[in-house]
Amino acid sequence: MSSVLFDLPGPRARLRHRIATVVAVIVLAAVAAWVVKVLWEKEQITPEKWQPFTEPQIILLLLEGMAITLATAAVAIVLALLFGAVFAAGRLSNHAFLRWPSTMVVEFFRAVPLLLLIFFVFFQFGSTLETFGALVVGLVLYNGSVLAEIFRAGILAVPGGQSEAAYAVGLRKSQVMRLVLAPQALRSMLPAIISQSVVALKDTALGFIIGAPGVVRDAKAIYISPLYNNVLVTGIVLAAMFIAVNYALSKLAVYLESRMRREGKAVVTASAGAAD
Amino acid sequence: MLGMTAESTTPASVQHGQPLVVLDHVDKWFGDLHVLQDINVSVDAGEVVVVIGPSGSGKSTLCRAINRLETIQQGEIRLDGQPLPQEGKALAALRAEVGMVFQSFNLFAHKTILQNVALGPIKVRGKGKAEAEEQARTLLDRVGVAQQANKYPAQLSGGQQQRVAIARALAMQPKVMLFDEPTSALDPEMIKEVLDVMVDLAKGGMTMIVVTHEMGFARTAANRVLFMDEGRVVEENTPEEFFTNPQSARAQDFLGKILKH
Amino acid sequence: MYLSELGSRLLDGFLVTLQLLGWSALFATLIGTALGAFRVSPIRPLRALGTSYVNVFRNTPLVVLFIIAVFGLPVLGIFRGNFFWLAVVALSTYTAAFVCEVVRSGVNTVDIGQAEAARSIGMGFSSSLRQVIMPQAFRAVIPPLASVYIALAKNTSVAAAFGITEATFQLSGLQRDFASRLLFNFAGIALGYILIVAVISLTASRFERRVAVSR
Repeated sequence: MSSVLFDLPGPRARLRHRIATVVAVIVLAAVAAWVVKVLWEKEQITPEKWQPFTEPQIILLLLEGMAITLATAAVAIVLALLFGAVFAAGRLSNHAFLRWPSTMVVEFFRAVPLLLLIFFVFFQFGSTLETFGALVVGLVLYNGSVLAEIFRAGILAVPGGQSEAAYAVGLRKSQVMRLVLAPQALRSMLPAIISQSVVALKDTALGFIIGAPGVVRDAKAIYISPLYNNVLVTGIVLAAMFIAVNYALSKLAVYLESRMRREGKAVVTASAGAAD
Repeated sequence: MLGMTAESTTPASVQHGQPLVVLDHVDKWFGDLHVLQDINVSVDAGEVVVVIGPSGSGKSTLCRAINRLETIQQGEIRLDGQPLPQEGKALAALRAEVGMVFQSFNLFAHKTILQNVALGPIKVRGKGKAEAEEQARTLLDRVGVAQQANKYPAQLSGGQQQRVAIARALAMQPKVMLFDEPTSALDPEMIKEVLDVMVDLAKGGMTMIVVTHEMGFARTAANRVLFMDEGRVVEENTPEEFFTNPQSARAQDFLGKILKH
Repeated sequence: MYLSELGSRLLDGFLVTLQLLGWSALFATLIGTALGAFRVSPIRPLRALGTSYVNVFRNTPLVVLFIIAVFGLPVLGIFRGNFFWLAVVALSTYTAAFVCEVVRSGVNTVDIGQAEAARSIGMGFSSSLRQVIMPQAFRAVIPPLASVYIALAKNTSVAAAFGITEATFQLSGLQRDFASRLLFNFAGIALGYILIVAVISLTASRFERRVAVSR
């Protein structure tokens, strides 16, 4: 197939591609071998470094930690959905006294680093909320604001004829929103919501900075222990756990999106928080 | 409107009546689909050949294969006696000699109308900017969109865009012009303005291969009509003969369907 | 007294934040563009490399990358003791995954018909790339790239947890010395970030308008 960049290859181009493929494989293999060599020389591929991750109680500890992280993220996402719905409604309101504050709140929490928010909430309310609460509040404020934007885009993407038809049968604005627009928008926003959930799950890892319970804090307990002294290996295991969970979630989003496209439904893409 | 002459659009090297585009036992598959089946076509210099047929008959693929926007798996395509190069500078040089007009215009979205027409002569032929723009203005004047020279493609109607696309192709002084359904994406009221330009081009002696559903154009401008179906050239005749007395059952069926309304 | 102290700490902090942002943006753009080029290349192992990089780095929490870079790399003898550059490594490798996606989708927004038209008037690979494809891809890339840089600006705050005295780090110090003015401290730092975000998005929209044409 021809692409935007490349013409259909002729015999010489095909030969060039084949040579480049071979060269690329050799170079990549050499780089991989070098990485393994460095890891070997620095004694990172030794049984002592990896052995902890075969011990049942450490596996259990990490799995429990991941369960807590997932639960924290789940709580935060559910609350953020509520927050998002409220502020999206506020931004879509006809009343300026609702619209303006909603806009300010959403824009503020999207522009401020999440960690700064978490620090602030922790310092201000840490004594009552504890680390878990401070983390969840920070996550809700940030992700809720991003979700508010996703919801707003989703509602605005419902074809205008739908609300006109709803008004025509005599529904009031709140009924139009609740009965006609929101249900249709929700379907189209599902992939974006899942993408934002991946972002929220990754951000939940920030909790370890204030000492909130979760898999990263448990991993830290392992790598700072002089018994193991394996921070690099632990970091790689930790990364692998998150990649597995997030990859599965992303695949779900892609699957839902392609199924909706097949059904000819509009899809709101999650660009708002995608880079976080 | 155009007053185009053979001298102004056809390079002197091409002799009228000589075979200019030759497809020799051409086959192409898309996976299992045999989209071009043993195609043998010869188009002489100065000839206007219209290719018609139902959608999916392979007529667009045939047109695009002539400047290698589609590859073929068997057979040979020759232009002016030379086999079609497969890549590199030789292919680029050949494509510069073959004008192509697309169904969706494909004007460069980020360039003005004038820049669209002058780009090829400047970047490919190495002409000076002033000379290329002067030539571009002349061509835009001929196709009737000189007023729009400094606008961007999106600001023009479809019919105007397609006329600019024709001017862009003509600016390379091609030996042959390929038209891949040039009016299929146009609103009905704009079809005529594009066809008028094409008719004038044909009268001026340009060698043209036109894939189209416009039977009126085929009747007035074509020297020959090729009817394709399921990857084969089923029938080949003068427009007069083809429309009044189609030989094959498939052509009769096709004409019956499209001429009924 | 308090205000001047706040001012000087914010200045110190944001100077480091901006340095983190600048270096990380530079390296992320370089790495990400190279990976993006790999992903649209006809060479299969390079495409696979680009895809795996994105899958790995985009799905790893930034904080975990920081742990690997800041604590793990020195074990291998890389940037030992130099927290600033280790933070830049974490931030740029993470952000490169997003730059890669932006570059890839930017190239893919260019209609194939534009390339075919360029080829049909006899333009070769480099000519059509320079004259037709790049200018259009560039235009499509600006808004999403600005979003990536904005996210990066906010993400530099994670460095606070790894001993780098950037802007967010200052909140802890201010909390120690001026705990009663927490809201004010927070608002000051937040304002700095909002300013950075505003500058990036204004620059992007300016830039976009300059290269934009109606289409």
